[in-house]
Amino acid sequence: MADIESGGGGGHKKGPGVKKSKKLSTRVDLTPMVDLGFLLITFFIFTTTMSSPTAMKLNMPDDTAKDDEKNKAKESGALTILLGKNDQVFYYEGKLAEDGSNFKRAIFGRTQGEKTGIRDVIIDKKKKLGENADKDMVVVIKPNDESTFKNTVDILDEMTINGVKKYALVKISDPENQVVKISEQGVK
Amino acid sequence: MPKVKIPRKSTHVDMTAFCDVAFLLLSFFMLATQFKPDEATKVETPKSVSSDTIPTKDAFLVTFDKGGRVFITYDDAEKKKALLGKINADKAVGLTDQEIAKLNKAMEAGIGVPFNMLKSLASKEIAEIPKVNQPGIPVTDTLNNELKLWIAELLAVNGGTKPKNVMLKGDNGTNYPTFINVLDAFTKNGIYNFKLITMPENVPGGTYLYDERTSGKKDKK
Repeated sequence: MADIESGGGGGHKKGPGVKKSKKLSTRVDLTPMVDLGFLLITFFIFTTTMSSPTAMKLNMPDDTAKDDEKNKAKESGALTILLGKNDQVFYYEGKLAEDGSNFKRAIFGRTQGEKTGIRDVIIDKKKKLGENADKDMVVVIKPNDESTFKNTVDILDEMTINGVKKYALVKISDPENQVVKISEQGVK
Repeated sequence: MPKVKIPRKSTHVDMTAFCDVAFLLLSFFMLATQFKPDEATKVETPKSVSSDTIPTKDAFLVTFDKGGRVFITYDDAEKKKALLGKINADKAVGLTDQEIAKLNKAMEAGIGVPFNMLKSLASKEIAEIPKVNQPGIPVTDTLNNELKLWIAELLAVNGGTKPKNVMLKGDNGTNYPTFINVLDAFTKNGIYNFKLITMPENVPGGTYLYDERTSGKKDKK
């Protein structure tokens, strides 16, 4: 910044006894201004929503369709996923056995240690069906009344992640709900 | 020995450049910021791997929060007005034109009251409406699913054409029955296609979708 001579009286040699008037600098301390600038920046950074929300498609079946058009799923390709409270997931393949022997517990995401991940269940099922996976595999999702919206979205997302072509959101039946409730009590 | 004169340097740093940078960044953030639109309720949406953007045209948005309260928003000003007018006439709410205009404005943030409370909501000052603790549109009861009636009226106003984008925005903690009741209200009216509003999430590695996206194939979903 250029220094400007404050005009007139500010000369050097005024002779003895004359008080030297102080030369005032025109330099302004910008530190507070910088402070303010960065304060506002932080404010805007925090208020900005950088990741904008996305839309996830969901298509529901036309439930006015005739009954005989439904239930076309092959038993071998059917995988039923049940959602319970506290993010609990259960599944069975094909039909639910009378004694409930094929009713199993899983967790969201990948397998961790001894806990089977629902993603691996889906992947395994797909592998087992091989080429017919796209055609035959049907995942039936049955959330019970205590599961949350997040669980539902997560499991629907799992369908997208694993490329499951056919899946349906179906109301849970009473026997299934009871099995889920009993299983829930087993583990805290 | 002559004295070596060390020039005394000022410790003063010129802050001008620093200041310039600060304000450059500030202006960037100010312009890049989009403030969140007004919302009647606070909702924390779940995450999904979907990468589609949110449509803004002809969008009918249903929001449901943790407590199961349901709110509706519609972005088309003309249709919104017609919808409120029709609700007013059919449900004998008894709103004046002025009150309809007020509700029209309030609907930008979301309306979530039963029909019989519309009048009292509309009688409030426009600035007061966002502060009202709205109980949500009743959906739980199959006999008294008012959301269903709202949608039926919406379809009637539009001459049977469905809104192009039906969006559902739910909270992580919303229980499933609320969600399915909202869905029911639409499917009963013949609307089967929805868009769930979610926050983006990375696709987990080693999965079908991950392979598909990284191999450069176009994402069909």
